[in-house]
Amino acid sequence: MGKIKLTAAVIACRFTRWVLRVIGKGGTSLPGEVAARLYPNVLADLAKDVNTIVVTGTNGKTTSSRMIEQTLIESGRTYFCNKSGANMLGGIAAEFCQNSTITGKKKYDWALIECDEAAFKTVSKYLNAKCVLVTNVFRDQLDRYGEVTHTLSSIISGIKNSKNAVVCLNADCSLTVSIADEIHNRIIYYGVDKPIYERTVEEISDAPYCIKCKSQYVYSYRTFGHLGGFKCMGCGYQRPVPQVSVSDIFETSESCSVVSLKIGEAQYKVKINLPGGYNIYNAAATACVGYALGFDAETDVKALETFECGFGRMEMLPINNARLRMILVKNPAGCNQVLNFLCNNKERSLFIVALNDNYADGTDVSWIWDVDFEKLLTVDDKLSEIWVTGIRADEMAMRFKYAGIRTDKIKVKKDYSALIDDIADYDGAVYMMPTYTAMLAIRKRIADRFGFKEFWK
Amino acid sequence: MKKLKICHLYPDVLNLYGDRGNVTAIKKRLEWRSIESEIINANIGDKTDLSDCDIFFIGGGQDFEQEVLLKDIAAGKGRAITDAIESGKVFLAICAGYQILGKYYKTHTGEVYNFIGALDLYTVGQKKRMIGNYAYECEIDGKKTEIVGFENHSGKTYLGEGVRPFGKILYGNGNNSQDKTEGARYKNVYATYAHGPVLPKNPAFTDELIRTALKNKYGDDVLEAIDDTFENNAHDYMVRRLLNK
Repeated sequence: MGKIKLTAAVIACRFTRWVLRVIGKGGTSLPGEVAARLYPNVLADLAKDVNTIVVTGTNGKTTSSRMIEQTLIESGRTYFCNKSGANMLGGIAAEFCQNSTITGKKKYDWALIECDEAAFKTVSKYLNAKCVLVTNVFRDQLDRYGEVTHTLSSIISGIKNSKNAVVCLNADCSLTVSIADEIHNRIIYYGVDKPIYERTVEEISDAPYCIKCKSQYVYSYRTFGHLGGFKCMGCGYQRPVPQVSVSDIFETSESCSVVSLKIGEAQYKVKINLPGGYNIYNAAATACVGYALGFDAETDVKALETFECGFGRMEMLPINNARLRMILVKNPAGCNQVLNFLCNNKERSLFIVALNDNYADGTDVSWIWDVDFEKLLTVDDKLSEIWVTGIRADEMAMRFKYAGIRTDKIKVKKDYSALIDDIADYDGAVYMMPTYTAMLAIRKRIADRFGFKEFWK
Repeated sequence: MKKLKICHLYPDVLNLYGDRGNVTAIKKRLEWRSIESEIINANIGDKTDLSDCDIFFIGGGQDFEQEVLLKDIAAGKGRAITDAIESGKVFLAICAGYQILGKYYKTHTGEVYNFIGALDLYTVGQKKRMIGNYAYECEIDGKKTEIVGFENHSGKTYLGEGVRPFGKILYGNGNNSQDKTEGARYKNVYATYAHGPVLPKNPAFTDELIRTALKNKYGDDVLEAIDDTFENNAHDYMVRRLLNK
């Protein structure tokens, strides 16, 4: 009976997906929801024999996943992944339906699953993950998740459901490391041993006080946000020594970072093929997952040097003479990292912010006031103009005014078509920082006009 | 040159939801009028002298950190805050900062936390959070003014006889989602649930705080008009969206 139901669910899921494609909708979660409605155990049955890697945490899920994917490619492992940001239960179930046989047998050895932190608690019940990576815990879309401690407890429940998983934790994040006490899994830590940037934005720490005893942390160094060499003077809780770590940073440029990466006992010089300090963390996380699963470290290092990222993660979309890079932001921590990048950039550029407040963006946009946009004044001569668009463009324009940017330099361009026309006329580097739904909408318009691939294809 | 001293109370723990944008708004609007400002952060454990500050700001925070905070309040800052309020100092209190000025907070499981007690009001926690953009109407400088902001609280606040509501809800929940009141006023205390942050896109409100503080200190309440196009665009967008105006 189970077999028939499973087959029916797989077929229903694929059919729903096919219908959505035919009518031109990129729906990613509905097909899985249909399958689960027909047979609630569909995901557990399909995931049973697949080696599943789960990537969760506030920031860096997608980029880390793409880097890990490259290690799977380089090592010749067969795999599938949930690529299109479908990281809730429905989307994940749909990926498993799509990547099995009609009767529910596995087609690939590995599944690489990016999972929303809040959804992880539920999704984990079905997955029997082999490895769980927690990238970090920052404040994110508070209107949706409540507070940071809720995010943590969701991740802890998820790991408790993943009894057979080796867990990779960011040693520099005091919130993430606190998970260790709550779980019985094997843990591998990764981290960055030194500060990354010369100039950094001022950030509010998301975790100034010890999560265990509430004394203030002291830091031997900080990388960004609350990440770094933390130690609590009250109870002694401190950054664990990571098995995988970035021990030196030789170069950070507009196109890459060159670092020294320690993996277990071995040391590698690595060119990470994506700029930005947060991507140094994503690279270390990737090496950590490889180390945890016993992959060949040299292959993993090669993957970091060759991989290319897409879908709004420093994604390059050249339009005529405009070298447009899209950098998706979802929260202050991510946004501060984009500003760190811009403030250390030596080239003249145009900066665009697209701020929406739909559910997937976070309906509360107040986080833009927790971000140190004031720092842009230090590179004012490098910014030709600042354009704002999206549903909350006026709020964003005002934020720049209060950051001290001259108002004649701030242009509100709410109409996407006109915005894209103006970008197409621009000559030089353009950095666009959209929130999630703004990115989908703008990217689609650009794709339609200039022929880039749609993300679900 | 005139100068106002702004005290940001507990920015180390009460720093959620972009509320520090309120301090930025006050500072900038002073700067644009050539009035000097000094910002003092009074963190947990600091023995800051609060007596010569002109405007106090206390914002929202998360529950996890409130225990540390209550200890510090009991250790002396609570007294200093009450004295400043009674002497007519200007206060802007948002969300958790608003609740803390009240008498107590009773959680949905029945635990009671005693707060500063400077304002005659109390808060009762419930499971469901009241979240979203909202709008209320209040009188500022003799004019009816619509304030827009973002509320995000699980506590329902009830006002006693000693305080009056700051505004009347036009859209959203406000103090308790029952009596249509929003925020509280007492002497020169302005308390509200409005994040957003509230001040930048409600420039009339910011100017009211500045004007009151200048009057306290210099006896003069005329404020030079400045170009509010950006602020009004952000304000009017939300008014149109919520109230279909």
